[in-house]
Amino acid sequence: MTLKIGELKTDVATFRNLEIVLGRVEEEWEEPLGPTPMPSITSLRKWDYKLLSRYKPFYLPFCDLCCLCTFGKCDLTKDKKGACGIKMDAQQSRIVLLACCIGAATHTGHAREIVEFLIERFGRDYPLDLGDQVALEAPNIRLVTGIKPRTIGDLEEVLDYVEEQIAHLLASTHTGQEGNNLDFESKVFHAGMLDHVAMEVADIAQIAAFNFPKGDPEAPLAQLGLGVVDLSKPVILVIGHNVIPSVYIVDYLNETGLKDEVEVCGLCCTAHDITRYSDRAKIIGPISWELRFIRTGVPDVIVVDEQCIRTDVLDEAMKINAPLIAASEKACRGLPDRSNDPVEEIVEDLVSGRQKGVLILDMDKIGEVAAKVAIRLAPKRKKFKALPSVEEIVEEAKKCRNCGFCQKACPNSLPIPEAMARAKEGDLSKLADLYDYCIACGRCESACPSGINIITMMVKSSERRIKNEIFNVRVGRGPIQDTEIRDVGRSIVLGEIPGIIAFVGCANYADGGHELVEMAEEFLKRKYIVVVSGCAAMTIGMYKNEEGKTLYELYPGNFDAGCLVNVGSCVSNSHISGAAIKIANIFAKRPLRANYMEIADYILNRVGAVGIAWGAMSQKAAAIASGFWRLGVPVIVGPHGAKYRRMLLGRKERKEDWYVYDARTGKKVYVGPVPEHLFYAAETKEEAMVMAAKLCMRANDTTKGRAIKLTHYIDLYKKFYGKMPDDIHLFVRRLADIPITMKDEILAELKKKGWKETEIPDPTLIEELVRVKEE
Amino acid sequence: MKFEPYQTAEIPGPLKAIPIERPQTVAGIIRNAKRPIVIIGSKIFDVAPERTIRDIIEISREVGAEIVVTGGINRKFEELGVKEFRSMPAMELADRLRDPGWKGFDGKGNYDLAIFVGFRYYYAWLILSGLKHFSPDGFRTLSIEPYYQPHATFSLYNMKIDAWADYISSIKESLKRG
Repeated sequence: MTLKIGELKTDVATFRNLEIVLGRVEEEWEEPLGPTPMPSITSLRKWDYKLLSRYKPFYLPFCDLCCLCTFGKCDLTKDKKGACGIKMDAQQSRIVLLACCIGAATHTGHAREIVEFLIERFGRDYPLDLGDQVALEAPNIRLVTGIKPRTIGDLEEVLDYVEEQIAHLLASTHTGQEGNNLDFESKVFHAGMLDHVAMEVADIAQIAAFNFPKGDPEAPLAQLGLGVVDLSKPVILVIGHNVIPSVYIVDYLNETGLKDEVEVCGLCCTAHDITRYSDRAKIIGPISWELRFIRTGVPDVIVVDEQCIRTDVLDEAMKINAPLIAASEKACRGLPDRSNDPVEEIVEDLVSGRQKGVLILDMDKIGEVAAKVAIRLAPKRKKFKALPSVEEIVEEAKKCRNCGFCQKACPNSLPIPEAMARAKEGDLSKLADLYDYCIACGRCESACPSGINIITMMVKSSERRIKNEIFNVRVGRGPIQDTEIRDVGRSIVLGEIPGIIAFVGCANYADGGHELVEMAEEFLKRKYIVVVSGCAAMTIGMYKNEEGKTLYELYPGNFDAGCLVNVGSCVSNSHISGAAIKIANIFAKRPLRANYMEIADYILNRVGAVGIAWGAMSQKAAAIASGFWRLGVPVIVGPHGAKYRRMLLGRKERKEDWYVYDARTGKKVYVGPVPEHLFYAAETKEEAMVMAAKLCMRANDTTKGRAIKLTHYIDLYKKFYGKMPDDIHLFVRRLADIPITMKDEILAELKKKGWKETEIPDPTLIEELVRVKEE
Repeated sequence: MKFEPYQTAEIPGPLKAIPIERPQTVAGIIRNAKRPIVIIGSKIFDVAPERTIRDIIEISREVGAEIVVTGGINRKFEELGVKEFRSMPAMELADRLRDPGWKGFDGKGNYDLAIFVGFRYYYAWLILSGLKHFSPDGFRTLSIEPYYQPHATFSLYNMKIDAWADYISSIKESLKRG
């Protein structure tokens, strides 16, 4: 608010043209401010150290060296120190912190861009209305900053804080700063916490301003897959994560009556978000579908915003004669800035081919340029909208020298040479077989000395299948309703709903995306709450049962047992952490405002939630995971996730690691290894499923709840391992914990191990939360 | 190429595995270990012919090594008629192997030689790297995969599956000869 006074006379002086700018007025919020508003990078260090004393880092160095300064390269093998004194454990945690800072900064930059844009369009006072059922609109923001945001303008202060903290975290990675691995790890957690705040800012702002579904369990279904595009129409492909350019494309098509004339389809999270905005938009698929779809030649124009977009997208666009429009300052891609040029001139240059791509930062122009270019180019591009013929593919295969470089370059070591040998003889079936397991990164092509277009060959070999790649995915619903939390909070905390399993992250799968579907279905059938987001949410929609239905058509979208909840894009992951926070606040009435440690302690000990990021690839995924860790939510990654360089592993046999305070008495009580790990890279989907069921156990489970959770853990273990797990005695506290149907065999196991009953406390790791201390 | 990392861009060093060309040398390393453990990953059935899996089991038995399978391949192992083996996720096992205080599966103390086979290349690469840097003195790793694994203490080299099967068979024969 600005107060202007022409002239003010006082006893002391006369002021002319006085202008007083008032900052944010402290909002009325009856909840008192908690102990850690806007925590600094050390405010929650005590909590982090509690976690790290249980879940110790196990580092898996990718590289033996440090090459971050000119002292180096330094050899850090085993106990060697670098020139600055750093050792390998600290160096690894430093790299993890850098990755998480990149991830958090990316979401923060994204959020800042959205907030600034929306303030410019709608004004600072635009309300953050997330619907009647979502009164607790910003659990992460309230928890971390102590701010209860009411308008989009209120989010600026939140971002100011996050940006400042990320600067401090990055500074701590400089040569000669932080040197202790556990302090680096604490800062990793801080980066993750900030990341969830930033994601929440981005998503609640766009939900409110663009009227995305507001926690609607019955959000509509959207079309998904390579086969969903109407090839008779001009096609605009949008790629990335920031939906603003896509919104303007849709708006332009709607306003000009062209909405039925042009196809708008997307890849990655922009695709998720554009289907939250437009019922006509379609999703092609996750990041792995980028090369595949571009190589089909179908897109007439490609619009890229930010994050996880192939950096060679211009080269790929040029191969199919489709112009590229870059729409983000963060990814200009060497293109000329045409933001200030007349639309018709830009269109003419792109249609004529004088320019292969342009940078446009004026959102008002993007919709018009993209639509006009697509409409004018589509008829001219028909010859590019076809894959090579089978004969051409066979000829291409004959260039193969069987050197094997493709297989060695492939992240999944796929048997490409074998498939190529068959293709030479006209049999494309082996190439088609690779389709399910290929992540379409294109490293094979880069490695090929003969320049063979291996991805194109795979796509051609799978052409018939691709045409039938038509699925349904539920549109991202955004937050979990407060009423849903009230309904299920009790069952989750007492353990009667066996757990919340969140399938999140990217599509870097070691053995194909179908594994994710198998896992999701297993937990849905077992009545877990299954929550999904991002690329994982797309992958889960890409497989049908015998009746032709995807999991989204088989399971309802409520936040309840046996339901499949798609929250939306990457930034919607904040609603998953938000749901855990809401359980602590809405159900358990724990103070929320700036009260991080208590809420995290509650979640760690009571909320049986586990994340599975089966194809996690990015730095953003690292930051998202670390935000969950600090909240006490374990995360399992797939085999490629081992490349994040360190695990956070508990040791179940070390009894001393698994004590908590009983908040009623202050007595220290052994509760068993629950949850056993905080970050863990599974080798197979079977291992991940068993581990997920196990990690849902929490110290506070009632005997009934523990019996239900044990049933699933033991049942899954027996299903995949063929026998009883050998650690049941660590999870049975009382005889009443034993599932009735397994009583005899469990009792036999317990007898073998010399098991004794233990107490079930009111668990906390925080001494200050003890209500009555023992004398 | 023989002693280069199998996957492109997995550039190792400065400390790299000692490559071993002769099966007899491998047999000697295994024989000289006081407490060897054989860790068999989930990819073993994708990579190895059945005779090789049986050879690996025989190698373990020959020197009294504990066999641990990872990744939930227990049932397939039992189908081979193998009864005496342990099961543990690879990450959990690796975390314990680096701990000199771990008592092992039999309570007699940690192992001095961990033999790895049947893993995804990069997954084993990372575990072996963790053990290379953070395991106690005297602990060694041996990769008997059909490729060079540079973070192991000792490794075989890149070879075709048939040649590898013969190599593993020769290790077994060498151990049997004593």
